[in-house]
Parts: sequence; C-alpha cells; structure tokens
Amino acid sequence: MKEITNQIQSIAQRLLESGQVELFMAWEKGDFDYQSKPYFARTVEESKKIVFDKYSIHNLSNALLKYRDGHEKIGIVVKGCDSRGIVRLLEDKQFQRDRLYIVGVCCPGMKDPLQAMRDNSGFNPQPESTELANKCAQCIQPNPVIYDELLGTEQPAHLQGERFGRVNAIENMPVDERYRFFADVLSKCIRCYACRQACVACNCRSCVFDETKPQWVGRETSVGDNMMYHLVRASHMAGRCIECGECERVCPVNIPLMLLNQKLIKDVDKFYGPYEAGMKYEEGAKPPLSRYKEDDPDDFI
Amino acid sequence: MKVLNKNKIDAVLNRLAEQSEVFVPMQRGPQSGFFAWKSFENKTDKLALDVLNVYLPPKNVVLPQTEKMYSFQQEGVEVKIEKVYEDPNPKIIFGIRGCDAQGIACLDQAFLTRGYEDGFYKARREATTIIANACYAPGPNCFCTSMGGNPAEVPTADVLLRDAGEQGYVWESQTAKGQAATEKIADLLEDKQVTLPSAKPVTRTVNYEGVAEKLKGMFEHPIWAKYSEPCQTCGICTYSCPTCYCFDIQVKNWGEEGYRFRCYDSCMYREYTLMAGGHNPREATVERFRNRFLHKLQFFNERYGTPLCTGCGRCMVVCPAGVSIVQIINEIKEAELDA
Repeated sequence: MKEITNQIQSIAQRLLESGQVELFMAWEKGDFDYQSKPYFARTVEESKKIVFDKYSIHNLSNALLKYRDGHEKIGIVVKGCDSRGIVRLLEDKQFQRDRLYIVGVCCPGMKDPLQAMRDNSGFNPQPESTELANKCAQCIQPNPVIYDELLGTEQPAHLQGERFGRVNAIENMPVDERYRFFADVLSKCIRCYACRQACVACNCRSCVFDETKPQWVGRETSVGDNMMYHLVRASHMAGRCIECGECERVCPVNIPLMLLNQKLIKDVDKFYGPYEAGMKYEEGAKPPLSRYKEDDPDDFI
Repeated sequence: MKVLNKNKIDAVLNRLAEQSEVFVPMQRGPQSGFFAWKSFENKTDKLALDVLNVYLPPKNVVLPQTEKMYSFQQEGVEVKIEKVYEDPNPKIIFGIRGCDAQGIACLDQAFLTRGYEDGFYKARREATTIIANACYAPGPNCFCTSMGGNPAEVPTADVLLRDAGEQGYVWESQTAKGQAATEKIADLLEDKQVTLPSAKPVTRTVNYEGVAEKLKGMFEHPIWAKYSEPCQTCGICTYSCPTCYCFDIQVKNWGEEGYRFRCYDSCMYREYTLMAGGHNPREATVERFRNRFLHKLQFFNERYGTPLCTGCGRCMVVCPAGVSIVQIINEIKEAELDA
C-alpha cells in the first residue's frame, strides 16, 4: 500500500501543480497509527501528507456534497464502494462528471479505525476489532466502477458468508419477535443523525427530519419517534443505497442499520430488478423507484 | 479505612436501590452507558466499573435526553396546565469518573447559577448523590489534568471510591449526602487498612493556558476552515460529551391535549440556528464547528471561569472524521495572529 500511497501523492501533485484540480480528497494519518481520516489537499506541499493504508476506510464521496454548489475541479480517491457513491451523486444530479478527476483504487479490504480507536480507548471490556472491517466483509464490489485512472490490482469480492444472511435470519422470525427485535435495537438510538450525515445517498438539501412546518417526525428518543426516523430514512434509501456500510460503521450505539438497507436492496432487486445500485454510470439512468412510467402496474393504489 | 469488598457490590447496589434510583456504568449488549441498576439483566448486561469509562456519559441522569416538562388541556380559549413533571425522586450515580463528575459541575453552572435556576434540572440535581470511582489508569485519549482535573480526586463527589484491586474499594464519604448514603450501607463495609493504588500518569497533555483569551482574536482565523473540512456535522460529539447541555423545547399534541418536552439539541445541526424567517446564521459546517469549539474553550470560560471540556476524550474516540480537540487546542496555541 506504500506504493499506492506514492502513486496517489504523485497524481495529486501533478493535478494540483497543473491546476487541473484545485482540491484533492484523500486520507491522512490522525493522532494514532490506527487512525486514517479524510484529508483535503490544496497545494503540492499538502499533498505530501496523503496516505492510503489499511485504515483508509472512510467513504469520501459524501464529502463532495459540501462542494456541490461550487465550480472548482476536484480530485478524489475512491475504493469500490466509494466509487458507487460517485455514481449515486451523478445519477442524483448532485455533481457534474467533468468537475471530477477520479482516482480509483482496487480495494484489498480495510480495517476500521473507529473499531481500533474504541479498542484502544480503555472503554471496551473486550476488543471488537475484526481483521476485515465489518462493512468490508459484506463487500461485493471492491473495484472502482468509475474512474479516470485506476491503481492496484483487481480484487475478488470480500463478501464472507451468504450475502443476505442477516436479512434472511430476520425475515424468518415470527412477526412479534421481529417487531421486538427492531423496537429493541432502535430504542437505543440517540438521534445523532450520524447515519444520515455519513450517507452519500442522503443528499437532499433540506431533510424531512429537519422540517418544522409541519414536523413530520417527532424529536423524542422514544421507540415511536426513533422507528419513524429509521423507517423513513431506510425507505428513502430503497434502490439508492450503494451498500458502503458507513451508516452502520459510524453509529455510536451500534445499531445494525445495514439490516434495513440490505432488506430493501434485496426487495428492490426482487420486485423491480435485477438491480444493483450505483454499479455503472449511464447518463440519465435512475434507480427503479425514482422513475415514473405511465404503464406501471398500480393495482395497489 | 472503610472498605467495600468487591463481592458485596451487588448487595450495596441492591440496598441503595431500595430508596433511590441507582445508575451504574454498564455494558448492555452492544451499548455502553449508565443504566438503572434495577433494570440489570444478567443475560445482556455487565457492570463496567473496571473499564476506564462508558461511551454515553451520565449527564442523562440530571439532564435526560428527552424530558417531559408539563401536560396541558385546552379549555375554550384558555389552556390548563395539567401536570408539571419535575422529578425530585432520589437518584444515585454510582461509579462515575472524575471527568464526568466535572461535567455535571459544568451543568450545575449553566443551570443553577448567574441568576436563573432551571426547575427541572434543580429538582433532579438536588435529589442526586454522586458516588465516584477514582481513576488510576487513564487511557490514551484522556487529558483531564490539562483541563483542570485530577483523575484520582473528585472534589464534587459525595462519596469517593478508590479501587484497591483485590482488597476492595476504599469508601470515603465527602459530604453530608455522602454520609447519608454511607449510613444506609454501613454494615456492608469493613474496617481495615489497605494499600492505596498508585496512579498511572495521564500521558496525553495539552496546554489550555491562555487559549480562552487568545480565541477572542481568532473568530476569522483559517484554522476553522482547515479543521472543519472533514466534519460531517453529525451530533455524535455533542451527545457523547459529558458537558454539552443544549436542548430544544418541543410539543406533542392530539386535538385539545398534549405535552411539552425538552430534548437534546446539537449545535452541529442546521435546524439548531434556523430562524423563523428562514435565515440561518450558521448555515455552513465551518460556522457550526467553530461555535462548538468557541463555546467549549472560550465562551463558557468567560462566563463561568472553567472550560466546557473535562478531557474525557470521548469525542476523539467516536468521531467518524477523526476530529481531535487536543489537536485543535494545540493549533490555537501555535497560531500566529495578525497584529
């Protein structure tokens, strides 16, 4: 990965020096060896701090949203999942392709710096770090699907076990038990909205959960309001979630958020598919539930 | 020395819980925070007195995330307040660390001093006894000594426990409230001499001296743009902080009846500063991010004489973007100001 770091640094230098981009997004080291975090280089000097290592897990595509109203050209490094995030932004018309210079890296699978931070904090009674980050163990697309330049060698999918294993287990629960399961895990939510903020598909300019007139979702941390928040958010992801797993990774109270997203991925594929979100960028393409067709069957209305 | 044998902790908690709601640090399934002892389940819960700290701070005992304030009923053009939900029931926070006790001392400043007392906070706070667990083995993100704390001494606690390993917890009552709690469990304590643990040093330090003063001239400084760039404006840092106390007041009503409640709010949210006419003075991430650090390091200090940060290190552990308050304080110290 040292070699990839060098390659990324020299690409960043080339692009910044020639003025081809004004900003280059990658990762840098944090306070600890096991911490890599988003980094935004604007000069050749700054680009020397860029690293790509086994902790470069943070999906940077979401960070593009801060620049969607600008005109600057931006260089960005993406792994497989992150690149699907770029497709999400392009399909949702949140970014123009010609503003981006995309450096793709075939991802060998990452470790989670948040897990490592927690393990080393003294707060954890037992270590939780896994050799492969939880989200990477669900990965079906380690190789970038959109790029201007590709680094590394193509990787096999890192998916361990059955793709929808967790979803199937929940589907097989009796209704009451399933309700209790979700009431229990969602009651823990502290409504920090980190799942929304970390999500590249959550790119609405004004969010239904921030609305006050009317207030669609109550602000109490009660099972009712929490469920409303999570179910509404999950439904908005139907056909749009690119399965990067950032929501579940950043959740400070360990809610299994990808269960809801994967259930919707499975159902959208089954009922409207075959469909896999953000696998390929075609101009004008939209996810199944974002399209309108006059001959859509509508017997259920 | 009064010593609590470790195999009697359950008995002590049971005894205390007879008359008070007792909150203890627990690992509850995948969650980690202060939960009521009476809700302890062997199957899912583990007492967390021997880990450094838990992820969710105990501020919820005196300032719950969601707190019902009053219920009302409309009668013609009038509104009748049916019930006010101030909570004066006795509570005990057992096993709180010094940094979190200092957090509650900060909340006391905000809610009880400078000419206004918050009735809801006051009712809970006056009914709360703090039994602290002195800290002898700080972690890699702890920097409490730099923020005016001392991990092994907790002056604001009513009782202080000192973990002497296999010999038990030395039990030191520090106030009248602490004495009252001690009397309830006196028969469960032993009188014996034990060797007190020696404290490991806090390895992480930062120099806060002069930072509040210097920040007065740094409102427009480029460090805010630089450090806020990775911030995703979620509320993890504010909700896991033992001192952040901002809340919003909201209402739920059905037809002619309803109730008002308050719930945590976060300066990282857009809605927090959104005004009725649609203007938002802190629309951009950098503005919200700067406000959070100025409140912690400058504004609170100007008003109350201490920073609104106790050095617990939680925000650095849980921030998805790796924002580090220690790095920011260092940067403020080093920043050059235009003359």
